[in-house]
Amino acid sequence: MLSPYGLDIIESCLTCKMRADQIFCDLPDQALQSFEQIKYATAYPKGAILFVEGQAPRGIFVLCKGRVKLSICSTDGKTLILKIAEAGEVLGLSASVSGKPYELTAETIDPCQVNFVKREDFLRFLKEHSDACLRVAEQLSEKYNSACREIRSLGLSHSAAEKLAKLLLDWAVKNGEGAKQEPRIKLALTHEEIAQMIGTSRETVTRLFAEMKKRQIVQAKGSTLVIRNKTALKALATT
Amino acid sequence: MQPSCNHCAYRAERPFCEMTPDATRAFDAIKVQSVVGKGALLFAEGSTSRGVYVLCEGRVKLSICSEGGKRLLLRVAAAGEVLGLGATLSGDPYEVSAEMLEPGQVAFVPREQLVAFLRDNPGICMDVVRRLSDDLHGAYDRVRSIGLSRARRARLQRVRSIAS
Repeated sequence: MLSPYGLDIIESCLTCKMRADQIFCDLPDQALQSFEQIKYATAYPKGAILFVEGQAPRGIFVLCKGRVKLSICSTDGKTLILKIAEAGEVLGLSASVSGKPYELTAETIDPCQVNFVKREDFLRFLKEHSDACLRVAEQLSEKYNSACREIRSLGLSHSAAEKLAKLLLDWAVKNGEGAKQEPRIKLALTHEEIAQMIGTSRETVTRLFAEMKKRQIVQAKGSTLVIRNKTALKALATT
Repeated sequence: MQPSCNHCAYRAERPFCEMTPDATRAFDAIKVQSVVGKGALLFAEGSTSRGVYVLCEGRVKLSICSEGGKRLLLRVAAAGEVLGLGATLSGDPYEVSAEMLEPGQVAFVPREQLVAFLRDNPGICMDVVRRLSDDLHGAYDRVRSIGLSRARRARLQRVRSIAS
């Protein structure tokens, strides 16, 4: 079957194989069936914008496949990337629940499959299914947790070097390489995007990487980064 | 001390506390009411979450801490708020520290009981979801103000203005 953007579209949540792994999607059958009726399965190319910060909330987006960049913007146009959302996450949740404008901008960085649910439908669905409501609470809690981490790293770190070191160590853990002596990280973001994640400039990130390479803390192999000296990186992260 | 939520005078003004008589009775059964002194730590950042604290009386300072021991005040919570909700529902360690700024009263609800209570009361569950959304909005505002003002001085001023 020909599918848009080379995506293998999952038509129905009932037959989705990835369901069991996702916090939100792993709903009881009854709730899942009514969710099936209110959702719209859509596919987006890379670089599409799902919603923009400040827009009135239309509904939620359940990310089935692909990755989405979540960022916030200052009034003078500076961008800060909060998170790269992965499959299974629900986007636009808090805005849809509270009725306030979307607080982030969501842009796809891969071709994505997204299930959209209109706000009114979603709120009705939550009222009828307390299980789903608890799942949503759980997702919101996790987001809150990561927002707090972001505040901590932005508000309490001294230097860009510290923030970059923390980010690299975080990625190593996320890749499941946290325990290894020389963890490997696949760098999926550009220096510009890394700069936006830690609230600094592209030039600073490039300079910091160059310094780390010179001090043999990290080594680049194509787009893979090898942490050669974890102790030194940890020391950088806690100064 | 207020033994039962039924007799609480503030109930009507507080969105979380304003429950149906049945729910109030169920809530009374699972909560542990206690009086806490000034400076008492309700929970510390990083410790395993045990449950939520409904703040009946008093103000609470919510702050986060860096590994180096630097502290950042997030906000001051007022009576009627529910603290530790996010960590309790997700099962993660508490993400902030909560310290009493003045003597007060709290109702503690352990996690298992809370989850069961929310499952039985969809209306209150929706309220909890709404509260979490508001918390999240506040946190994002904070990220924006801290993360996007480059100059250290501007950042400091913001932190101070919120603290005062």
